[in-house]
Amino acid sequence: MITTDNLTKSYGDTLVLDRLNLNIKAGELYCLLGANGAGKTTTINLLLGFIKPTSGNAFINGLAVSEDPKKTKKHLAYIPENLMLYPSLSAVENLDYFSGIGGTHLSKSQLEAFLDEAGLQKVAFHQRISTFSKGMRQKVGIALALAKNANVLLLDEPTSGLDPKASNEFGLLLQKLRNKGVATLMATHDLFRAKEIATHIGIMKSGQLRQEFLATDISLSDLEHAYLKTMDYKELAL
Amino acid sequence: MIRSTLIKELRELLRDGRVRISFFIVLLLIAVATWISKTQYTITNQQYQQADNEERAVWENQGEKNPHSAAHYGTYAFKPKYPLSLVDQGVDKFTGTSIFLEAHKRNEAQFSQAADQTGLARFGDLTPDFVLLFIIPLLIVFLGYNAFTKEREMGTLVLLKSQGTPIWKLILGKWLALFLPVFTIVFLLFIVAGIVLSNLENFGVFNWQSLGMLFLIYMGYYFIFINLVLFISLKMKKSGIALVVALATWILACLAVPKAASNIAESKHPYPTRQEFASNILQDQKEGLDGHDPWNKQAKLLEQKVLKEYKVDSLEQLPFNFDAYRMQKGEEHTAEIYLKHYKHLKTQFEEQSKLYRGLAVLSPFLPARFMSMAIANTDYATHWHFADAAENYRVELQASLNGNFAENSAYGEWSYRANADTWKNMPQFGYDPPELGETLTTNTSNLVILSVWVLGTFLLLFFTTKKL
Repeated sequence: MITTDNLTKSYGDTLVLDRLNLNIKAGELYCLLGANGAGKTTTINLLLGFIKPTSGNAFINGLAVSEDPKKTKKHLAYIPENLMLYPSLSAVENLDYFSGIGGTHLSKSQLEAFLDEAGLQKVAFHQRISTFSKGMRQKVGIALALAKNANVLLLDEPTSGLDPKASNEFGLLLQKLRNKGVATLMATHDLFRAKEIATHIGIMKSGQLRQEFLATDISLSDLEHAYLKTMDYKELAL
Repeated sequence: MIRSTLIKELRELLRDGRVRISFFIVLLLIAVATWISKTQYTITNQQYQQADNEERAVWENQGEKNPHSAAHYGTYAFKPKYPLSLVDQGVDKFTGTSIFLEAHKRNEAQFSQAADQTGLARFGDLTPDFVLLFIIPLLIVFLGYNAFTKEREMGTLVLLKSQGTPIWKLILGKWLALFLPVFTIVFLLFIVAGIVLSNLENFGVFNWQSLGMLFLIYMGYYFIFINLVLFISLKMKKSGIALVVALATWILACLAVPKAASNIAESKHPYPTRQEFASNILQDQKEGLDGHDPWNKQAKLLEQKVLKEYKVDSLEQLPFNFDAYRMQKGEEHTAEIYLKHYKHLKTQFEEQSKLYRGLAVLSPFLPARFMSMAIANTDYATHWHFADAAENYRVELQASLNGNFAENSAYGEWSYRANADTWKNMPQFGYDPPELGETLTTNTSNLVILSVWVLGTFLLLFFTTKKL
C-alpha cells in the first residue's frame, strides 16, 4: 500500500532524506519517530507528491507518486499537524466540500454518518468549525478519510497539542481504520501513543531510518531507551 | 469540483459580514444612481421636447419677414438625450445641449449641465457609470484579494492539494464565485434600465441590442479585474500584501492612468484656446468675402465675375437679387473657414484619442470607458457628429433663405418680405446618432484592446495556475 524505494531528497548539498525504504501493508500502522528535522515530514510530503524526490521512488497502492500524483491521491487521506478547515463552514459543509472536490459526492445523511463514525458529537455537526477544538477538527479529518474510502492514511504529528482524552480517542479511531484494512503512516514525537496503536515503529535521524521494530516486540521503556540512544540523548535517572 | 468550490466560496462570502456590507452598499449605490439618472433623464427629455416644440413654433410664427432677417433671427438645434445615457452619461454634462443656428456664424453648443452647477460639482456625480467603472472593480478587489492567500494562511491549501484535484478547477470555482455576485448586480442594473427605458414614451429610440452590447463590454472589463485580482492573490503570500497590491492596481488602472492620459494627451496635442480659435477664424474671414459688405475686395471681384457670366452691365439687370447672392457666397466662404478650423480641432481630437488608445495598454479602464460612452452615444465623437449635423442643417437653411431672397426680389430690394408660410415649409432639424454597427466599427481599436486585455489576463491566470 505504502512503499518507498531508496527514497532520497536533498536541497543543494543538504541531504534531508537518505535512501528510505518502507513497505506498509493493508491494516498496518507505521509510526515514524524522530526529532525535528529527522525527515518525517519530508517523507510524507514526498508521498503526497508535494515535492519531487532527488532519487528513488514512492508508491501508493503500487502507483508511482512522481508519475501520477493525482491518481495516487484518489484513495489517500492526509491529516496534517494542524488540520485547518474553513472556519465559517460547519463540519458537514467542510466534509461535503473536501469529499466533493475529491470526487465523492455524498448526501447529508451520509456525511452525518461519517462524522458520527469519526466520533464527532451530533450537536457539533452543523456548528461552524471556528468553534471547534483541534481534536474535533482531527475527527472531521478522519471522517474525510472514511468518506473518501481511503485505504492509505498519512498523518503528520496528529496528536501533538491534543489533551490525553482527545489523543486517546484519536488513537482508537486509527485502530478502527487499521482494522478496516487502511495502511497508515504516522509521523509523531509521541512514543507512548506510537507504542499503543502502531504495528510497526521506525526511528529516524538526519534523514535516515536508523531502527525498526514490531510494536509487539518492544516494551515502551525499551522503545524509549532505543529512541534516546538513537538521538544520542542521555537518559535522565529518576 | 467546480460546483463544490463555487458553493463553498459563495457560502463563505455570504457569511462574511464585510462582504455582506460591501454588497449592500454597492446595491444601494446602484439603486440610488439609477434613480437619480432616470429622474435626470426624464426631466432633460421633457425639457428637450418642450424647448424643441416651442422653438419651432417661434420659428414658424415669424410672420412676413425678409429671409435674411430670419437668418439672423436664427433657430436652435437641440441635442436629444439618448436612452443609454441613463447608464453612462459620458461627457454630456460638459458638451452643451443646444446650438444656436444663425447667419454667418457657426456657434458652439451651449447650456451645459456643468455650467449650471456650483463648484461642488467638482466632487462628481453619483451615476450608474461611476458605480460600474469604479465601484464594482473595487468590490472585486475586496471580494477576491484573499481568494488564495486565505487558503495559504489558514492552511487549507495543503488539504486541498492533498485531494488530488486539478488546481485549474479550484481556480475556476473561485473565479465563478467572484464573477457571480458581480454578474448579479450588473445584470440587475441593466435589466432595470432596460425595463425603465422601454416603458418611457416619446423619449428617443431604445434598443436592447445596444444595452446588451454595453453589458458585454462591462462583463469584459470585470473579467479583466477578476483575473488580475486572482492572479495577485495567487502570487502573494499574505492577504494584507495582496490587498495593498490589488488596491494599487485599481488606483493605477481606474484613477492614475486615465488622469495621466488626459494630461499627456492635452500637452502633446493641445486644442487652441477659445480666443486663438476665434481670432484665427476672424483673420480668415477678413481675407475672404464678406456677404454684407459690397465694397469688400472679394465682393467686387464676385460682382465682376457674375456680370461677365450673365453678360450684363449692371447688377440691376441680373435675373436675381445680387445682394442675396453675395450673402450666400459669403455664407459658403464662412462655412469653409469654419470647416477648416473645426477640422483642425477634430485632428487634434483624433490624435488625443490615438494617444489614449496607446495608453490603454496600461489600463483596461480607458478602452472600457470609451466603448461605454460610444455605445451610450454620450462620447465626444457623437457630440461632434451632432455638431456637424447641426452645421450642415445651418448651411442648408442659410442657402434656402438666401435662395428665397435672391429669387423673389430685385437688387437693392431690402424691403422684400417672404410669405408668413415660408418658415413652416423649411425642414425642421432632426438628428439621429450613429447606429450600433457604425459605433462598433469606429471603435474597433478599443474593442480589440479590451479583448487583448481579457485574453492576456486569462493567459496570465492560466500560466500562474500551472505553477501553483
